[in-house]
Amino acid sequence: MSNVVIAPMLVALVTAILTLVTRARPRLQRTVSLFGGGGYVVAVGVLTWRVFSGPVLTYQLSGWTAPYGITLVADQLAAFMLAMSAVVTIAALAFSTDYIEAFGQQIVYHPLFHLMVVGVTGAFLTGDIFNLFVWFEVMLMPSYVLVVFYSGPDHTRAALQYTVLNLIGSAVMLLAIGGIYATTGTLNMADLAVRLSNPEAFGITVGPVVGLAALLFAVFALKAGIVPFHFWVPSAYEAAPAPVSAMLAGVTKKVGVYAIIRLLFTVFGAAQLDLGPFGDGSMLLFFGPILLVMAIASAFLGGFGAVGQSNLDRLLAYSSIAQVGFIVLPLAIVATIPLTDGGTVAVLGGEFTVPTGAGTDGLRVLGIVAALLYALNHAVAKSLLFLVSGTINAAVGTIETDELGGLTRSRPYLSGAFLIGGLSLVGIPPLMGFFGKLTVFDTAATAMATNGTVGEIAAVTALGGAILTIAYVSKAWNDAFWGTESMAVVRATAQPLALLSIVVVLALVLVVLGIGLDPVYEGAHGAASAALDRGAYIDAVGPSYAEVQS
Amino acid sequence: MTENEPTVIARTVVRIVVPIILVTAITLLLQGHNAPGGGFIGGVLTAVAFALIYIIYGLDYFETEILGRTALPRALPGEPVEDETQQRPGVTKEFSEVLAIGLAIAAGGGIAAIALGYPFLSQAVAFVEGIPLFHEIEVASALVFDLGVYFVVVGGLLTIVAVVGAE
Repeated sequence: MSNVVIAPMLVALVTAILTLVTRARPRLQRTVSLFGGGGYVVAVGVLTWRVFSGPVLTYQLSGWTAPYGITLVADQLAAFMLAMSAVVTIAALAFSTDYIEAFGQQIVYHPLFHLMVVGVTGAFLTGDIFNLFVWFEVMLMPSYVLVVFYSGPDHTRAALQYTVLNLIGSAVMLLAIGGIYATTGTLNMADLAVRLSNPEAFGITVGPVVGLAALLFAVFALKAGIVPFHFWVPSAYEAAPAPVSAMLAGVTKKVGVYAIIRLLFTVFGAAQLDLGPFGDGSMLLFFGPILLVMAIASAFLGGFGAVGQSNLDRLLAYSSIAQVGFIVLPLAIVATIPLTDGGTVAVLGGEFTVPTGAGTDGLRVLGIVAALLYALNHAVAKSLLFLVSGTINAAVGTIETDELGGLTRSRPYLSGAFLIGGLSLVGIPPLMGFFGKLTVFDTAATAMATNGTVGEIAAVTALGGAILTIAYVSKAWNDAFWGTESMAVVRATAQPLALLSIVVVLALVLVVLGIGLDPVYEGAHGAASAALDRGAYIDAVGPSYAEVQS
Repeated sequence: MTENEPTVIARTVVRIVVPIILVTAITLLLQGHNAPGGGFIGGVLTAVAFALIYIIYGLDYFETEILGRTALPRALPGEPVEDETQQRPGVTKEFSEVLAIGLAIAAGGGIAAIALGYPFLSQAVAFVEGIPLFHEIEVASALVFDLGVYFVVVGGLLTIVAVVGAE
């Protein structure tokens, strides 16, 4: 029990409250907000350091023990995701203090921003599916307001769509959680994994959980914007202010991806049952083919959609759909293929056994490493590109590509940052994106050895998606940055230096992450192993069954 | 009496009902930690009491008669203003402060537990005995959290009522 687990959440919460209290003094409010953002980065940094150099940390709110109390679990997967979101958060926050007009900042922006961070942090740390729902809501409610921030007709329409869809998603999620509680008698993730792998000991049936888990999965796919749950993405990202789009694409989307990894691989994958046409074994096998189809559809639909866009934000939004396809593609590959030599491990002092998550060939770990590296690349590169788009908007006043042109001449640094972000999406060495793509292809190639068809389909998808990425990135580059200077660009005199410097720093981060990949790869590897190490996760939480046995 | 003014019946009923609602709200707040009730429902009831005053006596009554201030003339909806706050009743500012204070109380109550060496949001209870009439009073630290929730709900709902009501 260490307060370091809850520190990031408390820092963000206290900052949100302080920015609400200091609304009457805008300068003080902005300072508090930035210091709070810095404090959040420090808290996440300390937590990441502690988790990566020691065991899984847990925290029981109010001191009630698991599985009855509210559990927070900081393992390497959670820490990796938190570190990723902290980078994007501080960049987007610093960007907003200059980008959002003073009145907007004063009214609601800062408290909402930090409350969204509270929700994101909670979702990464929680060890309990009902609390996952709560943190999703905490994350979504500020985001509704932030999407409608400019409150024009188009923004309101986009936000209405976003809000209604997510409310439906939340209702479905609550329904699924209720069903899981009724079926298994627990909400604690570690407890759930134990019960699902020992159904006889607890007198539960695993069958219904497949359907309920599928409902949960659909909700996570909605949050992550995977086809067919992607349709809210373009208009919401276009309507939101640039730093908020950066947060939505870079952070809240990753919460959906995290939830898919955590629940499917760590929790539901522990259930062993005969799935008929899907095969006999882990429940994960049911989700593999579905996820594969969704990943392929996302990569192509998003890619083709992006090629046709003339608005920079819309193009980036469609690109986000395609990139999420890339993130879940390796997950889909490894979820489709049954484990080789998967044994069982004893947990809770040998009282129960659970199936291991990782096989001896290391394919599962590789798949999750690929997803995490690609997610990190997408988080940094896409938020960089959204912030570049915001800087262009602040400098030139438009982000329609047919009104832009020749930006390289007058704004070399800004163009350079866009180029780095774009090339990282494409996957050019030595940028971060190259290694993301490399591990995705590596997963597909390794999978070919055991299951030829799946590996080949995945490799073709990855290749096709990569070509589409080149197409839309070069289209955006040719239309907006190369060529002759348009009237709008010539007339523009604004020099948003603060915004520019943030964008340049974020571009450098991409380069540094690529060149100094080693620790990042180690981190992703640790996170992937933690996601599959059910034994360590369950033992760290240590649900007590005193009541069950008496 | 113009057509828009409420009847004598309505005004009299409100005068009698509002104190009863407020007392009920506070009762619910105080017993909420281990009986039906709590900060949320107490806050909603309190907001309902204020909403009744708003509906029957108008938006400015609360400021002019109860707080003893002068209500500044508000801008009409759609009328160009320098600052959107000119369209709202002046008391909106206090309402949103109540919200912020409530949040601070709720979070502060949780953090106080950490400062004392317990996990976040830990609660305790003490029984004070030998009190005339009551004999025994239960003092629960959960009340602090409930009080925070109460203020958040009251502040939030009244801000909405005041801002939307002015439009």
